[in-house]
Amino acid sequence: MLNECGVLVFAEQENGRIHGVVYELLGKGRELADRLKKSLCAILLGYNLWDEAKELIYYGADKVYLIDHPSLKDFDIVRYKHNIVKIVDEVKPDIFLIGATRIGRSLAPRVAAALKTGLTADCVDLDLDEEGNLIQIRPAFSGNIMAQIKTRTKPQMATVRYRIMKPLNRDPSRRGEIVVREPILLEKTGIEILDKIEIGGVNISEADVIVAAGRGLKSPEDFKILEELATLLGGVLGSSRPLVDAGWIGREHQVGFSGNVVKPKVYMAFGISGAPQHLFGMRDSDIIIAINKDPSAPIISVSDYYVIGDLYEIIHPLINEIKKVKGLVK
Amino acid sequence: MYNMRKRSEESCICGEGILNVMPGYIYGNCGRMQMNIIVLMKQVPEIEKVRFDPEKGRLDRSSAGATTNPFDLNALEAAVQIKEKVGGIVTAISMGPMKAEEMLRDALARGADKAILLSDERFAGADTLATAYTLAAAIRKLGAFDLVICGEKTVDGDTAQVGPEVAEFLNIPHAAYVEEILNVSENNIVVKARMERSHYIMRLTLPALITVTKDVNTPRLPTLRDKIRAMRAPITIWRYEDLEEVADPRYFGFDGSPTRVIKVYTPSAEKRLGKMISGSPEEVAREIVHVLIKNKIL
Amino acid sequence: MSPKIPNAVIDDLRGIVGDKWVIVQRELMESYLKDETPDIIRPKPAEDLILVKPSSTEEVSLILKIANEKRIPVFPVGGRTGLVGGAVPTEPGIIISLERMNKIEVDLENMMAIAEAGATLGDLIKVAENAGLFFPPHPGDEGAQIGGLIATNAGGARAIKYGVMRNYIKGLEVVLPTGDVLSLGGRILKNNVGYDLIQLIIGSEGTLCVITKAVIKLFPKSKYMVTLVVPFNTRSEALRSVPAILRSGVIPLAIEYVQINEILEAARHLNEKWPVHKGFAQLIIILDGMSQEEVLAACEEISRICESNNALDVMLAETPEEQNRILKIRSNIYTALKPNMIDILDVTVPPSCLEKLMDEVDAIGSRYGVYLPAYGHAGDGNLHVHIMKEGIKSMEMVKKIKGEIYEMAVRLGGTITGEHGIGKIRLGDLSMVLSEKHIEILRGIKRVFDPNNILNPRHPL
Ligand SMILES: Cc1cc2nc3c(=O)[nH]c(=O)nc-3n(C[C@H](O)[C@H](O)[C@H](O)COP(=O)(O)OP(=O)(O)OC[C@H]3O[C@@H](n4cnc5c(N)ncnc54)[C@H](O)[C@@H]3O)c2cc1C
Ligand SMILES: Cc1cc2nc3c(=O)[nH]c(=O)nc-3n(C[C@H](O)[C@H](O)[C@H](O)COP(=O)(O)OP(=O)(O)OC[C@H]3O[C@@H](n4cnc5c(N)ncnc54)[C@H](O)[C@@H]3O)c2cc1C
Ligand SMILES: Cc1cc2nc3c(=O)[nH]c(=O)nc-3n(C[C@H](O)[C@H](O)[C@H](O)COP(=O)(O)OP(=O)(O)OC[C@H]3O[C@@H](n4cnc5c(N)ncnc54)[C@H](O)[C@@H]3O)c2cc1C
Repeated sequence: MLNECGVLVFAEQENGRIHGVVYELLGKGRELADRLKKSLCAILLGYNLWDEAKELIYYGADKVYLIDHPSLKDFDIVRYKHNIVKIVDEVKPDIFLIGATRIGRSLAPRVAAALKTGLTADCVDLDLDEEGNLIQIRPAFSGNIMAQIKTRTKPQMATVRYRIMKPLNRDPSRRGEIVVREPILLEKTGIEILDKIEIGGVNISEADVIVAAGRGLKSPEDFKILEELATLLGGVLGSSRPLVDAGWIGREHQVGFSGNVVKPKVYMAFGISGAPQHLFGMRDSDIIIAINKDPSAPIISVSDYYVIGDLYEIIHPLINEIKKVKGLVK
Repeated sequence: MYNMRKRSEESCICGEGILNVMPGYIYGNCGRMQMNIIVLMKQVPEIEKVRFDPEKGRLDRSSAGATTNPFDLNALEAAVQIKEKVGGIVTAISMGPMKAEEMLRDALARGADKAILLSDERFAGADTLATAYTLAAAIRKLGAFDLVICGEKTVDGDTAQVGPEVAEFLNIPHAAYVEEILNVSENNIVVKARMERSHYIMRLTLPALITVTKDVNTPRLPTLRDKIRAMRAPITIWRYEDLEEVADPRYFGFDGSPTRVIKVYTPSAEKRLGKMISGSPEEVAREIVHVLIKNKIL
Repeated sequence: MSPKIPNAVIDDLRGIVGDKWVIVQRELMESYLKDETPDIIRPKPAEDLILVKPSSTEEVSLILKIANEKRIPVFPVGGRTGLVGGAVPTEPGIIISLERMNKIEVDLENMMAIAEAGATLGDLIKVAENAGLFFPPHPGDEGAQIGGLIATNAGGARAIKYGVMRNYIKGLEVVLPTGDVLSLGGRILKNNVGYDLIQLIIGSEGTLCVITKAVIKLFPKSKYMVTLVVPFNTRSEALRSVPAILRSGVIPLAIEYVQINEILEAARHLNEKWPVHKGFAQLIIILDGMSQEEVLAACEEISRICESNNALDVMLAETPEEQNRILKIRSNIYTALKPNMIDILDVTVPPSCLEKLMDEVDAIGSRYGVYLPAYGHAGDGNLHVHIMKEGIKSMEMVKKIKGEIYEMAVRLGGTITGEHGIGKIRLGDLSMVLSEKHIEILRGIKRVFDPNNILNPRHPL
């Protein structure tokens, strides 16, 4: 049984770096594979990725199928599809998981259609029923409902949202096998990637974490401290309108009725009172954390966690504590 | 890849092509090329008016009207803009109940030239795979096309899967999350697509499929006159029998769908936790970090 | 009057509403000290203020009793979206915010909402919608509160068909400055007992009583709604169409007049795109009805009228997204212009005189060498004229320009404010529209309600 592949994980990489969602998929995949009493495999495509393949093992994979070739350096969806389909045909996994990143959500349906199998989008939870079939749980109707979905065909494919599943701890002593496979070479795919342009700047409406400040901030310079916090959390800065109007920060950071509507996983509001026009822009955040001196501020009653106190007393210890957790300081 | 670029009959051959003319390549009037563009459009419930009852775990669509999936208006607008630039024909295709005729009429008012509705009880209950398979069959039946444009996703099913699946069934290249169409020429299209942390500038050989985001354009409003004219326009209806010949009907509809929605529920009303964190600044910091870890931010 | 509020009073207030809901530190009440009036003309708030946030009518009553006994000024505030400084506390005293009193119930059978005064317009719209009903007007920013909307008799964009706030209020619960609670009217549509205090209180700008609850008429949700955007080359062509539309028998919810520069500016401000770039002057017309056929037939009628006035096109927004975007951009013209603005006027004239008024406003502008952007609720003859910073050399000049515009409005049979009210920045202008006798009667009324002049005391009445 154990040499049958229970779960296959697509190890998305960009510029040779494995995407964080892959480790999370390996974490969940490990659990599912163990319950199925089968192995957990990963598939990695790209160029010069031997070390990355090993990482996948440290994070839980039993077997990594590696196709290492210059033609796979960039993400050409048609090339990727052909190579992935080939591995899937060989491995025959019960379950095939792909990160619900933009790359994953563009690639997975192509692969599913090629395999003529079902695909569930953007899952936030996965489980098994008594027969070992995958139960896929996903939001639909713009997040207003949750649906449970099962797939009658194999592999049961799902894309899974980032920052939902828990990765295992990295364990360099884990053993596993790296299986190298030859690429399918295609001369032309109809796709040429002419250029890749890094996206700089804020995209507040897509941010997972927003560290926002309001008039509780005393000077424009103080945005620097908040920015440090935002960066540590992989997030971006947000602001209430008065600070934008005062020119302390650009309008692209404004949250609210006359600014951006945001929906991050975590919204931290420092010194924001929570006027209706501000709430309009952030009320759909998953978790709202408010830091405010005033226990009567309206933001308190819409928050999941709140701190009654001076933001200036909390911000530094908070940054410190995060650095500790990230191993940046002792 | 077999060539699906038979040109539509009504276009004529024009002598002075601006472009380097391939033998047999057909141009419309005045040397403009004739692009055959297909737009895939879905009718969805008015999402703001659907009532979600978290207590009973139900959703009630009765008070919600039907509207065009908003992203599909961007897809249509992109198609119409290309048509206006290089010439061509825009065909809107939808699969859905007969009610979707009104959406297609709206598409005609907004610049589509033809509209086809795939409607049959035997298409119903399709998941994305079956939907894409059926749409691809219809496109194949049409015969000639250069470009298929889809919305990024819908606001109900919300999967963003139909576009890439259609591309696979048609065996053509695709680009998802297109934010800008940079160039369209006789045999390729150059687009800017948003991936995780970068924009990809890609050239796709036609025929190809793209899915577009809201950033690609702002859909124009139809004029009242076009709207009223379109209200009387005929919509072509294709039923099961019409597609049987170009596809394997076992892959249509509910029976052809590998996925099954087994349960739908509305998440318990977003009651905020309202938990106070107190203590010394260090204690507060630790508690917040704990929350961040619990929510996988750290 | 005592410049500082005695500690004993603060303790009493804490006893009434709870410690947490009495705010004395200035830095925590900054946003309660101003409203949306442009900075330059907004009155300065006083020092020594305290802010209380009661949770019930009883608490409001107890607060007012104390204030009345101790002769402490009281300033009821709503969403602070007012544009005439009405909510700015200009004397040492107590600010009362009803934001915690924000419950709304819907009486489906009688189609009425029973709303506490601190609920916002946004809340009311949503609650009505969820109940399958409709609150037709859009009388201000959605952060405005029911209490504020009533106190200012707000109007807004969708007032043509069913009227302004005044037309919706069927009952009120108010607390008088003496602490007495009055319950007026109710869930009834007709009421003829005695003087109509409800109508007197609507538009009283927080000078007579604190409004704590209201019964608000709702309507069935229309089955079908569209928004037309009609561009014209000239203002005259656009405005000439308005009375003709109103006479045609079609009753739109709204006819708004905008000019291309301002509407594009508002769209830019929001990072949105305005859907129609043609023409100089545009009408935004919102229509609703029972069916698509019915409404489109009305649209055709409007289209005929507009085309006979050389409309360049008649564009139709049908999807909720598109209609919401149009309303949102339209609602944010003020916000977009505000940073460069000195004042916003809301003069109102008989609808047929709107064109004349606008021409005169242009003439005034060119006489003073300034651009006076204007747009308005054309169907109501209600014009927003903005005095911008550019080209203005002194406040004296602002006063003169304003004076001329007011005079012109009055001469055309209109008034100086159609919806924003007098507030604290138009005190000097009252005599332009009201006679001595009229003002005397109003003062008398104020004294009856508020013998010690503690509610919003800077008001002229
Ligand atoms: C048409 C319109 C559109 C609008 N659009 C928007 C919009 O898009 N976005 C938006 O944000 N606003 C918008 N507003 C403005 C909105 O009404 C509020 O004025 C604004 O949100 C208030 O910003 P704030 O919370 O930063 O400031 P305040 O309301 O002044 O709140 C500051 C808060 O900081 C707290 N504080 C002070 N010092 C400290 C400290 N040291 N530590 C911790 N807390 C402290 C105070 O207790 C207070 O709660 C709009 C208004 C209108 C009328
Ligand atoms: C709660 C719920 C959850 C679901 N989850 C899944 C799932 O995880 N996996 C799955 O396979 N199915 C799922 N479905 C079924 C799926 O919604 C339908 O198959 C639907 O017909 C198409 O999917 P979509 O709405 O997600 O479209 P998307 O893939 O999001 O649509 C992208 C684009 O494809 C085009 N398009 C989509 N549908 C049509 C159409 N009918 N006609 C013309 N063009 C169209 C449009 O251009 C659209 O913008 C789910 C359905 C529900 C109700
Ligand atoms: C972007 C924008 C658009 C607007 N559009 C319109 C419009 O179209 N039409 C229109 O008419 N107005 C408009 N306004 C003005 C404003 O929204 C309205 O005047 C609104 O009614 C004010 O409500 P508020 O709750 O913000 O009141 P506030 O500004 O807080 O207060 C206004 C007055 O009401 C009094 N008051 C408030 N609550 C109570 C109460 N409970 N009891 C007694 N008195 C009270 C205050 O003392 C003050 O005198 C607009 C404002 C903005 C910023």
